[in-house]
Amino acid sequence: MAYNLPVETAKGKIREVTIGTGEKSLKVGGENVLPFHLWEGEMPNRPIIAAEVSDEVEELPPALEKVLGDVKNDPVAWAKKAQDEWGVDAIALVLTSTDPKATDAPPEQAAETVAKVADAVNIPVFVYGTEDLDKDAEVMKAVASKVEGKNVVLGPAKEENHKTIGAAAIGYKQDVAAMTPIDVNLAKQLNILLTNLGMEADKLIIDPTTGALGYGLEYTYSVMERLKIAALYQDDTMTQMPLLANIGFQSWKTKEAKSSEEEYPQWGDPEKRGIMWETITAASLLMAGADILILRHPESIKLIKQLIGDLSS
Amino acid sequence: MEESVRILFLPENRYIMAKPGENLLKAAMNADVHINASCGGSGSCGKCRVVIEKGEVKREPNLKLSEADIAKGYALACQTTAWSDLEVRIPLESRIGDKRIFERKVPEPVYGHLLSATDWEERLPEWELDPATQKIHIVMDPPTLDDNTSDADRVKRSLSMEAGMKDVVIDYPVLQRLPNMLRQSGWDVTVTVLDQGEELRAVRIEQGDTTARQSGIAIDVGTTTISAELIDLKTGEVVASASDYNAQVAFGEDVITRIIYATKGTGLAKLQSVVVGTIWNLIKTLVEKADIEYCNITHIVVAGNTTMTHLLLGLNPKYIREEPYIPSATSFPWIKASDIGLRIAAGVYLYAIPCVASYVGGDITAGVLASGIFNTDKMTLYIDIGTNGEMVLGNKDWLLACSCSAGPAFEGGGVRHGMRATRGAIEQVRINKSNYEPMIITVDHHKPIGICGSGLIDTLAELFLAGIINEKGKFNLDLPTDRVRKTDTGAEYVLVWAEDSATRRDIVITEVDIDNLMRAKAAVYAGIEVLLSSVDLDVSAIDELLIAGAFGRYLEIDKAVTLGLLPDIGYEKIKFVGNGSLLGAHLAALSREMLSKTKEIANTMTYLELSMNPSFMEKYVSALFIPHTHLDDFPRVREQLEEVRREQRMAGQA
Repeated sequence: MAYNLPVETAKGKIREVTIGTGEKSLKVGGENVLPFHLWEGEMPNRPIIAAEVSDEVEELPPALEKVLGDVKNDPVAWAKKAQDEWGVDAIALVLTSTDPKATDAPPEQAAETVAKVADAVNIPVFVYGTEDLDKDAEVMKAVASKVEGKNVVLGPAKEENHKTIGAAAIGYKQDVAAMTPIDVNLAKQLNILLTNLGMEADKLIIDPTTGALGYGLEYTYSVMERLKIAALYQDDTMTQMPLLANIGFQSWKTKEAKSSEEEYPQWGDPEKRGIMWETITAASLLMAGADILILRHPESIKLIKQLIGDLSS
Repeated sequence: MEESVRILFLPENRYIMAKPGENLLKAAMNADVHINASCGGSGSCGKCRVVIEKGEVKREPNLKLSEADIAKGYALACQTTAWSDLEVRIPLESRIGDKRIFERKVPEPVYGHLLSATDWEERLPEWELDPATQKIHIVMDPPTLDDNTSDADRVKRSLSMEAGMKDVVIDYPVLQRLPNMLRQSGWDVTVTVLDQGEELRAVRIEQGDTTARQSGIAIDVGTTTISAELIDLKTGEVVASASDYNAQVAFGEDVITRIIYATKGTGLAKLQSVVVGTIWNLIKTLVEKADIEYCNITHIVVAGNTTMTHLLLGLNPKYIREEPYIPSATSFPWIKASDIGLRIAAGVYLYAIPCVASYVGGDITAGVLASGIFNTDKMTLYIDIGTNGEMVLGNKDWLLACSCSAGPAFEGGGVRHGMRATRGAIEQVRINKSNYEPMIITVDHHKPIGICGSGLIDTLAELFLAGIINEKGKFNLDLPTDRVRKTDTGAEYVLVWAEDSATRRDIVITEVDIDNLMRAKAAVYAGIEVLLSSVDLDVSAIDELLIAGAFGRYLEIDKAVTLGLLPDIGYEKIKFVGNGSLLGAHLAALSREMLSKTKEIANTMTYLELSMNPSFMEKYVSALFIPHTHLDDFPRVREQLEEVRREQRMAGQA
C-alpha cells in the first residue's frame, strides 16, 4: 500500500499584503500552510527577496566591497543593479544617513532619496530608518508624503513611535513593518495598536527582530514559527501578517562574517564565510516562515532564490 | 548630662526624647506614632511625608520631595534627622487611617453575589457543632482506704466513665492544682479536655459545673488587618467581633520587609510581641463587648499567611524569602497560648491552620474550607488578591494552588497617591467619555486623600474605556483636556485638583503607577492561566469564581474584567467570599471535623511554583495588555469596547 503523507489543514491563512502599485506591485503572504508544506495547502506567493540598499555607507567588509564598490555611494545605481543584475523582487532602502548619532541628515533629504530610488526601479520598495524612535517618526512622516501613492513599506514602527508612523501610513496609503523585540505577544500587541489606530490589517508586516546565525537566530526562528502556528492553526487574526527577516544587516555585522583571513586564518576564505553566514541565516528563517528576506550579497541572493525555487517545485 | 531633643508628634500630641541626629521614622516608631512607610525606611516609596512645624532638621536629598514641598515644611520621615526640639505634624496622607473603617458595612455588589449564611449551609452540609475543647462536669466519690487510686487516675476514670474519654493526658499545671482543687470543690469539678487529634489532654480544671460557659476565638491574622470573633461554643453563635490594624505594619507593610526585620537582632521577638499585643487588645474588646469572663475562653484558632503564622508563633521566617523558599513548618501542633505571650486564662490552647507552602498560607487553607471547594463537583477558582495573588483551582477531587507576586499596587503601594481603603480614599471612579471629566466617590464621602485598590482598578478601566490610555496603558496626549498632562516623570491624569483634595495636592495617576498596576494584574491573570493550563483547562472550564479578601470585597467586578484582571466568564459565576480566612478559622474553632479537614486540605493541595514554570513569562507578557493580547478570550469586553468606541465615534462626528 502506498504511503500517504499525513495532512494537517490549517484554519487560518496569512493575509496577502500588496506592496507597490500597478505594474510595480507584488503580493506577499497568502499562504495557508507552514513554510513549503505544499501537500497541505498553498503558498500562492513565494517568499520574496529584497536587496538591502543604503543611502550612506561607511566601510564594507571586503566581500561586499568587491560587489558593491562601484555603487555603494549611489543608492539609485545600487538599486538598479540589484534589480537588473541580481533579479531581486524588491528593494529595501535603509536611510542610514538619518542616524542622529552619525550624519543626522534631515528627513526631507532622505525622503528625496526614497523618491529617486522608487522612481528608478520597477519593483516595490521597503524604506527603513535607523531604529531611532523620534528620528524615524519624523523621517517616515516625510517619506510617506513624498512618495504618496507608491504604497511603499515604512519601517520599523515600534510601540513608542507607532502612532506617528501609523498615522503617516494611513494618511498617505503606505504599508507598515511593525517591529517588536522577539516576542509573539508583543508582535501581536503592536498589530492591535496599529489596527486600532485605523491601519488596515492587510497593510501590515511583522518584523519580529532578526538574530543572525550565532547571534540569536534560534530565538527569531522560534518566534517566527510560533507566530505562523498561531496565525494558521489558532486562526489568530492579529498574527496573520507576513513576516519580514532583516538578514543582510544582521549577518554582515557579525565577527564571523566580516573578519579578514589575517585575523582568523583558521576560519578560511572570508568571502565564502560571509556569504555562507548570510545564506545559512536566510535559509533557516525561510524554514521558520519568513515571507520577506532582506539580503545584501548577490551570491546569497542567488543561492536563496535557487533554494526557494527548489522548495516550491 | 547627655544632650537630647524633644520630638513632639501632632496631632497625636505625643512626644519622645531622643539624641540629636535621631531619624524621625525611628523616633515615631519609638513613640508609637504611626507614619505610613512601605519601603522600610529606604527613601524609595515617599509615603512617610511629615511636616516640620518647628525646629531644625536635616533632610537627605530625595527625588520624592520637590523644592516646593520643602518650602512648605515637608520632609520624608525616614530621610530626616532631628537636630533640635521639634514639632512634627503627620499629615492626613501619612496616617494609618481611621479605625472606624472596620465598622463599615460591606456594600452589596452590583455584579457578582455575596455569599450568605444559607449559601454556607448548602456548601458545608456535614458541618456540626463539635468543638475541639469540651467541658466535662464530673462528680467523684472521695477516695477511701479501699479505693485508694491517685487523684489523677480518679479524674481519668471519671472522664472515661462519664464521657467515654479514654487515656486522657493531664496537663502538668492541671496536675499541680489537682489535689487541692478536688478537695476544695468536694470532688465536683469541670475538666476542659482538648482533643489534639493524637491524644486527649485535660487542659483546665475548675470548681463546680462551668459547662454552660464556654467560648472560642477565631482570628484572621492578616498582614495589614487582624480580625477576631468570639464564638459561644454552646450555641455556635458569634457573640462579638472586632478588627484592628496589625501593629506590625509599623515595621513594614508587606511580608518581605517584615521577614527582613525579623531576621535582624531581636526583630523576631519584637514582631511577635507586637502582633500578640494587637491580638490581646482585640480579645479584650471582644470580652468586654460580649460581657463574659476571660476564663470562658477555652481555645483559639488562627489563620494567617505563612509569614504571619511564623511571626505569631515565633518561628524563624528567614528561609521563606530565600530560594528555594522553605518555611520552618506548614503544620503546627496545638500550643499553649501563654507560650507565645498570650496570657488569657489557664490552659487556653491555640491552633494555627496549616499552610501549604511559603506563599500559600493558612489563610488560603481556611478559605478553601470555608468556601466548601473541597466539597463541590464544580470547578472552582478561589482568588485572594493582596500583595500576593494567591489562588486555588479545583473541586472535591483535587486542589491546585499558586501564588503570584502582584506587588503592593492593589493595596496602594508603588502608586504615587495610592493608599489603603480608609476614610478619604477614592474607591469608585467614572470618567466621562467625551469630556474626560471624572466622577469619584471616596470612603465615607470624605474629601479625597488618595486612591485605594478598588479605586485604582476603576480608574484604570475607565481611563481605558474613555480612550485616555491605550491597551498598553500609555497615555493619549492629544486629547482636549487639561487633566492629561506631561511632566518630567512621564504623563499623568489628574483625578482631583489640589483645591478639591484633602491634601491640597493634585491627586494623579501616573504612567509609572499604571505600569505597576498593569504588572500586578498581568501577574494575577497569568497565574490563573498557568493554573488552568497545567491541568489542561482554560477559563471556560471555571464553573465558579470565588473572590476573597479585603481588596476583593470592594472590587467592581465589571471593571476588573474590563481590565483583564479577572477572566471574562460572566458575572453570574463570580461570587464574593468576604474574609475567607476568618470564616475558615471560625469553622475550625467550632468543629473538630472542620479542624481536621484543614489538615486534609493543606495536604491535598498541590503547590505550583510559578518561578519554575516555563510558560508563566509568556502568559504574563500576553496579559500586559488591556484587557489582554488575546481579545478572543474576553468576548464580553470586546462587545463592550465595540459599543463604547462606536458611541465615541458618533459623538465625535456630532
